[in-house]
Amino acid sequence: MSKAYIVCRDVRKRFGEHEVLKGVSTEFQTGQVTVIIGASGSGKSTLLRAINRLEPHDSGSITIDGVEVSDDQRTLQKQRSEVGMVFQQFNLFGHMSVLDNVTLAPRRIRRTPRTAANEQAMLLLKRVGMQDHAHKYPWQLSGGQQQRVAIARALAMQPKVMLFDEPTSALDPEMVQEVLDVMRELARGGMTMIVVTHEMGFAREVADRVMFFDQGCIAHDAPPAEFFANPANERIRAFIGRVGG
Amino acid sequence: MLLALWPDHWSRSQRSNATLVAALVLMALVLSLLGQLLSFFPEPIGSNAALFADGALTTLYLTLVSGAAGLVLGTGAALARTSRLAWLRYVASFYIWAIRGTPLLVQILFVYFALPVLVPGLNLPDFAAAVVALGLNVGAYNAEAIRAGLLAVPRGQTEAARALGLGHGHVFLDVVFPQAFKIALPPLVSNFVALLKDSSLAYAIGVVELTNVGNRIQSATFQPVATLTTVAITYLILTTLVTQVTHAVEYRFDVEGRAK
Repeated sequence: MSKAYIVCRDVRKRFGEHEVLKGVSTEFQTGQVTVIIGASGSGKSTLLRAINRLEPHDSGSITIDGVEVSDDQRTLQKQRSEVGMVFQQFNLFGHMSVLDNVTLAPRRIRRTPRTAANEQAMLLLKRVGMQDHAHKYPWQLSGGQQQRVAIARALAMQPKVMLFDEPTSALDPEMVQEVLDVMRELARGGMTMIVVTHEMGFAREVADRVMFFDQGCIAHDAPPAEFFANPANERIRAFIGRVGG
Repeated sequence: MLLALWPDHWSRSQRSNATLVAALVLMALVLSLLGQLLSFFPEPIGSNAALFADGALTTLYLTLVSGAAGLVLGTGAALARTSRLAWLRYVASFYIWAIRGTPLLVQILFVYFALPVLVPGLNLPDFAAAVVALGLNVGAYNAEAIRAGLLAVPRGQTEAARALGLGHGHVFLDVVFPQAFKIALPPLVSNFVALLKDSSLAYAIGVVELTNVGNRIQSATFQPVATLTTVAITYLILTTLVTQVTHAVEYRFDVEGRAK
């Protein structure tokens, strides 16, 4: 049976006067694909960033596989290598080739020899359809291609869960599909995923669970069929209407 | 200049390596042949050719040693200046403020004459004193160049590296520093060329470098035009060669093909 892999208990975070997370409690099961939607500033990205501590939470607790997420560097680095993250702005390392972007973490953290790391990276690049671009630099690639490389880079550490922070929001419309296809493929392979996105089609089709964030709280949490068929309240109905459900 | 010599089908690193090697060979050649070359010149250059060659060598040596020290010091100070620890930031800011706000000549004189008074037993020979003063000086300017580079690396780069599980050391050495260094390279080159010329101030404490040689010969022979022109041209040759080397380094780091 699936078990709770990431557990959030009363997670709070404020930036100055503004409280972005107002006591969020939820669990993410192994193998589950969770899509988080909500207006910008509702705290959905902050929760994602709190899970791998790019944005430390003020109070409450987050555990990954039973281990508390804290500032302890050893534990944190181990947790981060097991939690892959994909960013809105791709954030590929501009001074490295595609191949080096993917092999950096395994070579440094696992001390994988370069040849073995390269072989493994080529398999990952093939999986995201980027094997022909291994020796190019990020600036030579389109946004969609960069994001696919970023997914391969995150997969290189063989993470147990993947976090996607609006992975298609910075892309031209015609490139959105190629990235969503890769994510769909990942989900089909059983990857645990938490995806912050505005792609309602993806949520309907791939998600096991859709979560709606509103003003720092989880306003609604339901399987996609139920979530979209009868929105829990007016705000959700209006939001789905606006982003084109 | 040298970069344009190589065939079009050569890769970036091949061109960069070829340029580096060519510039270094050329530099060694120029320095070793300078004495012989100058000996063919009319008086007062010809008879003093060996002195000029030695002076040029001292100038280059002085520049390389203090330049290397300045690079290390500048990196350290830039890191301290951007540190999370307040006291480190203050120390670095004070260092940069004091060095940039006082003349280099005063700093050289201070290290040579005042330091032994303040720290009894520390009697630096003239060359070492010049290295310390020049290194400290260029370090302060390098610190600001490198700090600008560090600040220009987008935050997302650090976040992506940390999210992969990389430790602080790897985040810095593999991701942040190479990109910061690339951005800082043009101002660092300017600083290095300025250092090559500023090393002439070491003549004030008796280091027998190029300017000192020229000045001694012109006052002994009463032929300022010939001697000082020779000095100036030698500096020009040295700075030209140094910029060839640094262009090659810049070219190597320029993976985006922006440099023309």
